[in-house]
Amino acid sequence: MIVPYNHVLILAAALFGVGLFCSLTRRNLIMILLGVEVMLNAAAIAFVGASARWSSLEGQAMALFVLAVAAAEVSVGLALIVVIYRRSGSADPAVLDERLP
Amino acid sequence: MTGGAIEGPALWAVVLAVGTPLLSFGVIMVALRQRGRGHLAAGLSIAAVSVTLLAAIYLLISHWHMSQPKMFTVNWMVSGSLHLPYGFYLDPLALLMLAVVALICFLVQIYSIGYMAGDPGFGRYYGYMSLFAWAMTNLCVASGMFQLYVFWELVGLSSYLLIGFWFEKFSASQAGKKAFVMTRLGDVAFLLGLLLVLFQLGNLDIVQLDDPTVAAVMPPHLLTLSAVLIFGGIVGKSAQFPLLTWLPDAMEGPTPVSALLHSATMVAAGVFLFARLFPFFSHSAAAMTLFLAIGTISMLMAASMALVSRDIKQVWAFSTISQLGYMVMGLSAGGYVAGVFHLTTHAGFKALLFLCSGVFIHHYGTNDMFEIGARGGRQMKIAMACMLIGAAALAGVPPLSGFFSKEAIFAVLAGLDNPLWLTAGLLGGLLTAYYSFRLIFVILLPGSPGEAPAGEHHHPPPAVSAWFMEAPLLILAGATLLLGFTHHRLAEFVLQWFPMAVGEHAAPPWVVGTALALAAAGVGLAFWDFGRPGAARIGCLSGLPSLVRFLDQRWYLDRLYRYLLERIVYNGVSRICTANDKKVIDGTTDGMARGTLQAGRLLASGHLGMLQYRLMVMFVVVVLMALYFFLS
Repeated sequence: MIVPYNHVLILAAALFGVGLFCSLTRRNLIMILLGVEVMLNAAAIAFVGASARWSSLEGQAMALFVLAVAAAEVSVGLALIVVIYRRSGSADPAVLDERLP
Repeated sequence: MTGGAIEGPALWAVVLAVGTPLLSFGVIMVALRQRGRGHLAAGLSIAAVSVTLLAAIYLLISHWHMSQPKMFTVNWMVSGSLHLPYGFYLDPLALLMLAVVALICFLVQIYSIGYMAGDPGFGRYYGYMSLFAWAMTNLCVASGMFQLYVFWELVGLSSYLLIGFWFEKFSASQAGKKAFVMTRLGDVAFLLGLLLVLFQLGNLDIVQLDDPTVAAVMPPHLLTLSAVLIFGGIVGKSAQFPLLTWLPDAMEGPTPVSALLHSATMVAAGVFLFARLFPFFSHSAAAMTLFLAIGTISMLMAASMALVSRDIKQVWAFSTISQLGYMVMGLSAGGYVAGVFHLTTHAGFKALLFLCSGVFIHHYGTNDMFEIGARGGRQMKIAMACMLIGAAALAGVPPLSGFFSKEAIFAVLAGLDNPLWLTAGLLGGLLTAYYSFRLIFVILLPGSPGEAPAGEHHHPPPAVSAWFMEAPLLILAGATLLLGFTHHRLAEFVLQWFPMAVGEHAAPPWVVGTALALAAAGVGLAFWDFGRPGAARIGCLSGLPSLVRFLDQRWYLDRLYRYLLERIVYNGVSRICTANDKKVIDGTTDGMARGTLQAGRLLASGHLGMLQYRLMVMFVVVVLMALYFFLS
């Protein structure tokens, strides 16, 4: 393995931090969802790196699962966001409390 | 006195007798209540009551010479040392009452085909009739007082349902409520009395209660108290003195119902209970004297009310109270056979009288006897003749059944030391003859006969319904004519295996003579006032308008009860209850609800969206936990 596993973990952690920052600070539900996706992918990278490090396929299989889950989650999440937007006219989580009954 | 077991065909007969009406009630109420299935309901109900009638007759005949009373019980409820059985107890009284009830039920149901034809509630009516038949037959053969009490209440329920049968009429629903509440007043006393007996004796078997050893087990004052309390139930059900005002109002129900429940069978349940517990009651002389007084007061009071009533059914209602008073008098004076015999004959002729008046009411659409007379009621020959027979029996004219049973009661009263009771009884006989023949003469000999307005000519009911209504009349009239001659055989039957000696004596000739003379005087007076050509037709009492008003207002009993109700119940008890309800109960519930609401609001404020803060907190917690677990 050319790239040391530590580096992979640092990349994953950085990506996770980016995703977390995005989820916590953005004022739009879509961007929050995007942050969650980024965090998921950070975890997937860690899995793939670990799979390469220990020459075991389970990590990669887990990464595939993560992709599938992410796809499902995005579709459901986006649908929810669309509904919320239609009903409240906004996708800002801070104002949803007042606008949604 | 333990008695044998009921087995074989007799057991089947009892089960059939008391079971089929319930079956019919269930089927009618579930499946046949709707409009248009009324004839099915009627057929089913009549089939059920015919089974009951046949079984009852079979039982009566097969047990005519019974060697001992028979019992059959199964365990119904067991609670600690208390066993409550459900079962049948067949002794002569139960068999006789069962046969009477089944016969009257059967005839009235046949009659109702004609009377209730076209009523929207036809099916419901027959359902209630079956319910009543079930409750009443079970009451007759009950083996324990608890079972008797249950069916006693069921009888009250079916009475309530049938009085308020035309519930869209306000007065009918009011009358139903009144009957229910007033009889319940007596039933509370009844229940308390039963509980008292239960605590003393440990069980409520009728055999046990009627056992001569009861007097040794229960202290005399408790025995008297429980007897008086149980008698409270009889007062309510049989409409005796303090609680008599519900019965005249109960005439709001359909006329066959009045004939069945409120004259022949249900109100007789009170007297039946008296006869059932006769040995128990007779342990307490004080209680018996009280019962005698109550019976006398009710008898005279109701008879005097009947003197001025214009409503044909009301007259018979008052006379029912008065005749029940006679039965109570006879029983409490020690005349077991006299009371039971009068109960039997009265069931026959009073049902006959009501069914006859039903024919008039059905035909003319009014209850007012003067109007019926003026519109030519005399032309309905069969009904008129049957009513004449019934009224003569009521007045005690020989050789009809009422004559024999009343003589029996007079004979018992004549055996008492105090002549007051006999005097009151004879006076009642005079009043009875007067009011019953007043009604007869008003209808039979109207002053200006047959001047019904041409436009109001009724089209006669269809022939089939006329037949349905007239056949029961003829049967009952036949019974009224013949029943009197069975006195001695009936007395023999009723007294076999009776747990105590009951003296029965023939009336002294002067008593019979006086009674006959007074009955004749009553009839003659009625003829003078209402029958003879050119009579004033207002009655000899009209010289005393205040008395007429007093009687017309039913001795102001209703007013008094209404006043007491408003004073004590509405302004006293219910006001306190309302305050308690509003302040305490409502306050508590409202407070709890308000508290819940406030707590919910408080919690809800922590439940706002705040997505991102949550996410942040989650991460902080996870990171802190990770630090804790990995670094420590």
